[in-house]
Amino acid sequence: MLTFHEEIMVLLLHDENGTFLPVNEHTLNSALTGAVLMDLAFANRIDTDPERLTVIDPTPTGDPLLDRTLARIAGEATVTNTRTWIETLSADEASADPAKTIREAALTSLVEHGVLERREEKFLWVFRSRRYPTIDGKVEQEAKKRIADVLFSDEVPDPRDVALICLVDACNILRTIFSKKEIDRVEPRLEQLRKMDLIGREMASAIADIERAIAIAAAHTF
Amino acid sequence: MDIKEETVGSALVVSLDGRLDGVTAPDLQAQVVAAVERGDSKVLLDCDAMSYVSSAGLRALLICARRCQQAGGKLALARLRPECHSVLEMSGFLTVIDCHDTSEAALAALS
Repeated sequence: MLTFHEEIMVLLLHDENGTFLPVNEHTLNSALTGAVLMDLAFANRIDTDPERLTVIDPTPTGDPLLDRTLARIAGEATVTNTRTWIETLSADEASADPAKTIREAALTSLVEHGVLERREEKFLWVFRSRRYPTIDGKVEQEAKKRIADVLFSDEVPDPRDVALICLVDACNILRTIFSKKEIDRVEPRLEQLRKMDLIGREMASAIADIERAIAIAAAHTF
Repeated sequence: MDIKEETVGSALVVSLDGRLDGVTAPDLQAQVVAAVERGDSKVLLDCDAMSYVSSAGLRALLICARRCQQAGGKLALARLRPECHSVLEMSGFLTVIDCHDTSEAALAALS
């Protein structure tokens, strides 16, 4: 089973050419940090409520990225909430570009698992570009099917699918999977699911606040 | 958390006493999933003595409700304390899991 940070990375790639869909840097930082916290929560290492995020089991998971994050949280003397951890980890001083660190770890793992292949290409004989085409597209298709199955039904959803939908929604890439008409149709269901994962809720709230701050700053500039 | 089971009519009543969190949620999930697998798909969780619910607890409730539904039954909650009710309400869980003020009302809804 893929981790959430691996699964969202697969969905953030263009099907055919293996390049990344455009997502704002701050959104990607918060979403990938949220994905790592979801991975730790589903691995029963951390637990959350509206006021606190606590380590319930500091045993390493075996995934270096998750274990670094787990050790960081476990090493903090003060217990704080999920929102603060998303903001802290997504602006981590130890890493100049937290999203890049998570993205590289996810891509390396996906290549090792045979989900993606890494292609280095040169254009104009000088500039290098790296692409990650999917090998057979199966993982991506299965993830999209799970998302569709939940969105287009009234059944009690699986918590993993709820968390994945929160990530896809936060990155604003549902529009790459469904038509506008389909998204409009499932909006009430989406609104219901957005609340159901406590980490997903905090992640979406952090992203919305940053977007609001950027909009206010832009309005004052012009 | 202390988890006790009893059969009332066609429903399995599971009484929860204590905190439903990352430590105790796997026990509740395993117990309800085992009950569904042996044919008890109408399950009432009596939450009168449940003092706390975390995100791991919410996930366990969702999995239990999903398993009951997939088996043709239903999961219902009864007698949630205000502090737990507010967490379930805030997270939208009360839109997918029925919650009743009394066990009698929950049992009537399950029958």
